[in-house]
Amino acid sequence: MISKEMSMGRAVLEHHQLLPLFARFNIRMGFGEMSVEEVCQAHDVNADFFMEIANAYLDDDYAPHEDLSHFSLGAVVEYLTATHSYYLNVALPRIESQIHQLLDHSDLSEKEKQLVSGFFNDYKKDFLTHISREEQEILPYILELEMQSLKIRPDQNFLDRLTTYSIREFAQEHDRLETSLKNLSKLIVKFLPPFQDQELCIRVLRDLAELVKDLVDHADMEDKVLIPQVVELENQLIQKGTDS
Amino acid sequence: MNRAGFILAMESYLLRKGLVTVLNHIPGTMVLREFNEAAQLIEFLRKEHTDYLMVSQSIFENVAGLFISEPVLLDKTILVTDLPPERVSGNVQASIHPGEGKEVITGKIMKILDSKNMNSAQISSFELTPREKTIVRLVSMGYTNKQIAEQLFLSTHTVITHRKNISNKLGIKSASGLTIYAIVNNIITIEEVTSKPAR
Repeated sequence: MISKEMSMGRAVLEHHQLLPLFARFNIRMGFGEMSVEEVCQAHDVNADFFMEIANAYLDDDYAPHEDLSHFSLGAVVEYLTATHSYYLNVALPRIESQIHQLLDHSDLSEKEKQLVSGFFNDYKKDFLTHISREEQEILPYILELEMQSLKIRPDQNFLDRLTTYSIREFAQEHDRLETSLKNLSKLIVKFLPPFQDQELCIRVLRDLAELVKDLVDHADMEDKVLIPQVVELENQLIQKGTDS
Repeated sequence: MNRAGFILAMESYLLRKGLVTVLNHIPGTMVLREFNEAAQLIEFLRKEHTDYLMVSQSIFENVAGLFISEPVLLDKTILVTDLPPERVSGNVQASIHPGEGKEVITGKIMKILDSKNMNSAQISSFELTPREKTIVRLVSMGYTNKQIAEQLFLSTHTVITHRKNISNKLGIKSASGLTIYAIVNNIITIEEVTSKPAR
């Protein structure tokens, strides 16, 4: 676990798992002796939120802090969007090009190569659909919800919509994106013939494992931090609607 | 991933928030709504579904009529009461005493969730039926829904329904994703997938 008073430099050096977070929060290295809180302030990042995410990354049995209301949903949404763009622009393209390289220099039959590359293509499509639904439908809804909740008199239209729509529907059909990647690793490790390029094969498996872990943490963040907070806001708003 | 939804209905703010905190620490649970009086609860339950209902003794007594008209609800009910155990209504799923510690309450809730999983939820939500496995096998071999329907003497519509159920259970939509799933779960061998002559 890390604390706000801890030196940010020490936190990163002791917990390299935190490294992916710095790109997403747009925090650059060169921390000197600054504390976690000071670094966050200097980069305009809510320190409580940073701590919540960082500790979620470090703890597999993570449960959210009792009171999450001291950072805005806007901050959560911004972080999730940055994470999405990391998946789409960095993680997936890297794994894809490694897989192609791996297949090109292998003894696999054409059919076997097709199996793997066809799979990855479809996976990318599903991934994109999943993320665009979140970014075009769910996240804007959440921002709107937060904005309405700050008003003394929320728009009646929005309140009406709340009676028919809730984030709960989304939560219940929230797909897990990591399942197919785990299957791919399993396929390489157990079922395909060995690859020539051992180094590359190991790198692919390591990157896959890292992405799986990241996707699990990401889904936890959505399911355990974002959604409960949204449900709470929905309830408050419905209450406001019935009171007025 | 399906999570167990909880409704909390009790007058005491502190009690309610305490239980929300406990639930937030239990994986696979979600608080759907909170109520502090009976009327709104009744209104909600008329229209909406919940997996579990945590309710205080007094609200429970206030909404007794609801339980008579809908007895299945009793099985979903966790009564929060300070009555001694022997006086708690035996028809509810479980009861929690406000004086109990976090571990005890967590244990009780986990036990309820586990027993439900044993019955049906877990089996139906993750494991494929033999018929579904057959369909995954045929999908992996490159058959279209229509061809699968012919082979199994089903309507195309039925095959599509099966495929939807399969996708929901596994969280995998594409045929290529199902193929990899089938291989790594020994539903089909990689040779069967890759050595078939092109049709």
